[in-house]
Amino acid sequence: MPKHEFFVDMTCEGCSNAVTRVLQKLGGVQFDIDLPNKKVCIDSEHNIDTLLETLKKTGKNASYIGEKSA
Amino acid sequence: ASQPLTQVVVINIEGMTCNSCVQSIEGVISQKAGVKSIHVSLTNHNGTIEYDPLQTCPEDLRSAIEDMGFDASLPAQPS
Repeated sequence: MPKHEFFVDMTCEGCSNAVTRVLQKLGGVQFDIDLPNKKVCIDSEHNIDTLLETLKKTGKNASYIGEKSA
Repeated sequence: ASQPLTQVVVINIEGMTCNSCVQSIEGVISQKAGVKSIHVSLTNHNGTIEYDPLQTCPEDLRSAIEDMGFDASLPAQPS
């Protein structure tokens, strides 16, 4: 499965926890959050738009970086 | 003309750790229909929202904050 990398403007634990929670609510995703680099790497069947919309729910700036080769 | 209605609700919010969390919540919730003003306090773990009861309700506001990935709860209703 492709891994998608997203930029999310997270500045603290609270931000990354919020991201974790919205992604868990969406379900069907595996993800890693890289707080220092403000990146979220997601492994999911959902399409990119769905994932991006979910990330934006947190009120942070989010954008799609691209596919990440394992 | 009648004055527009305004009610105030204080919602407990857990999971905020910094000012950028506060700003995110204020930014998103203030865009919601019916919300007139919002003030989120990091130290008190809550948000004070002025809203128009014809357009939204406390439960609506609570779930909007919950949707953002924070733990939000309404204070016990005064009976």
